Amino acid sequence: MIQHDAGGSVPALRTSRLGRRYGRVWGLRDCTLEVPAGAVAALVGPNGAGKTTLLEMIIGLLEPTEGQVSVFGETSHAETAQTLARVGYVAQDHPLYRDFTVANMFRLGRAMNPSWDQTLAAGRMDALGIPLQRKIKNLSGGQRAQVSLSMALAKRAPLLVLDEPVSSLDPVARLEFMRNVMASAADADLTFLISSHVVSELERFCDWLIILADGHVQLAGPADDLLAAHQLLTVPRATPDAELPGTVIHRTGGDPPSGQHSTVLVRADAVQDRPGWQADPVSYEQLVMAYLQRRTPLRTQDDRAPAAERPGPNTKAVTR
Amino acid sequence: MIWVSWRQHRSQAIACLGVLAGLAIYAIVVGSSMRTAFGHDGLTGCLARSQGTICPAGVTAFMGEFGSEVNIAFWSVALIVPGLIGVLVGAPLIARELEYGTWRLAWSQTVTRARWLTVKLALVTGGLVVLGAAMTAVITWYRAPMDQLTGHLLHNIYDFEGLVLTAYILCAFGFAVLAGLLLRRSIPAMIAAFIPWLVIRLVVEFLLRPHFLAPVTGPQNCAANECGDGIGYVPQATGHIGDWILGQPANSTGYLYQPADRFWPFQFIEAGIFVALTAAALGATIWLLHRRAA
Repeated sequence: MIQHDAGGSVPALRTSRLGRRYGRVWGLRDCTLEVPAGAVAALVGPNGAGKTTLLEMIIGLLEPTEGQVSVFGETSHAETAQTLARVGYVAQDHPLYRDFTVANMFRLGRAMNPSWDQTLAAGRMDALGIPLQRKIKNLSGGQRAQVSLSMALAKRAPLLVLDEPVSSLDPVARLEFMRNVMASAADADLTFLISSHVVSELERFCDWLIILADGHVQLAGPADDLLAAHQLLTVPRATPDAELPGTVIHRTGGDPPSGQHSTVLVRADAVQDRPGWQADPVSYEQLVMAYLQRRTPLRTQDDRAPAAERPGPNTKAVTR
Repeated sequence: MIWVSWRQHRSQAIACLGVLAGLAIYAIVVGSSMRTAFGHDGLTGCLARSQGTICPAGVTAFMGEFGSEVNIAFWSVALIVPGLIGVLVGAPLIARELEYGTWRLAWSQTVTRARWLTVKLALVTGGLVVLGAAMTAVITWYRAPMDQLTGHLLHNIYDFEGLVLTAYILCAFGFAVLAGLLLRRSIPAMIAAFIPWLVIRLVVEFLLRPHFLAPVTGPQNCAANECGDGIGYVPQATGHIGDWILGQPANSTGYLYQPADRFWPFQFIEAGIFVALTAAALGATIWLLHRRAA
């Protein structure tokens, strides 16, 4: 269903050495990544990591200071109708006009998008039992999220960007929302880029993972491949990093902290068994947390690694 | 986009119609009784034959009944109304999108934000022009009897007739739209736009307007130090209704004044000033909003 191997085919989204400077501060720098067509990609990062800056450049709300964005092979330019038409966007907190009815919102969508699909938008509301004549302010949070998603889908853009779509929803609404996203991705051959803090939902639904911290991409690729490429080692506390295989991503003192062992998440394909060492597969959440918690700059052993996977100077501590 | 603009500004349009209806009701009530009194005091015939000098009693009676209300109280209230309308309509236009985060929705559709703003500004400006013209028409009808006694160049009359009322509304609107973009909050933007609007409005009225065109120096019809205010609004110095006496130049026995028939040139000059300020504010807003993406 989903092609992870983008070789040959045009990726849905490609950013190359993308950067955006605000005054003298870089909000995002040297961001190179690809999302293949048909993927449901998770974008994870702490607050202030540059996620919003990245998303706004992808959508066409912001022009890059350096580098470029291309969507299905076409270079994006902020403030052009061509770029805006290629990306559907569900903004954080699902902003809608409170005193509009759902039908009014859809009429706005029709007025502002040449390829608007009214049948799709109205059909989705029908299926979800949301009356078209109800005012936005009288809808629940989950219903507003669905109206926002339906507007983005009815725009008929091949790439959809969802910024924290479920963080304001209760667990039932989260599940329903994400199921709708997955159904749309499968039915209409759409590509999704979803920024979120809710790692559990991402794990269930997203097959591509991008971790962003300190304005740089820390890790990007198919989620399964990334999980397979990391190991969780339990080693004697005294073992120096240099003796560990691969690249040390995150090391903790162990549990309890005063114990005899350290838990280390390393990037290494295979780990030889050694006495006193234990190697375990990494869970999705452990992987994400390890990258988000890195506090010291680490050099990868292979400096020729693609820029997308090169860790950045991690001078700014993770904010949360 | 036309429908979108209409839907978003519908309640403002209804409120503006309410203001216009209230003004019209007041104008009909007071304007009708003014017309009755005007005939009753025998002013029509008197003014046809003189500048009011042969019927001082009638002029005084009419002015006593309506003068303070129509020329002073109305001016005091109506001075700020165009500014209030302008800032109330203008400030939320961008600021509300920024306050509620709906800009992310509005500007991510297949319409650039510069076009979104341009269309909205064109439609709302058009609506305000219609409102200003309608208010001007109502006030001009209402004041018609009084204008025969006062002319319409004097500043408590001039401000509501011709072109300037509409230009005042547009200027406050333009300032408020720009302030809304810069301050990102509706209420502070209203205040930040209204204060400079009022300052400019008063500076133009009291400092610039007397010098829009070079004043005329006329001979005195009365001995120096004895020129009174005349009867009603007829200046004794020129003896002609509606002339705007500016004062006596140094080392001269004549009077400086602006003749009553300069109403329209003055209206074009003053409306031009305020329309130019409007255009500058709105142009800056479009440019700044477009540049935000760059």
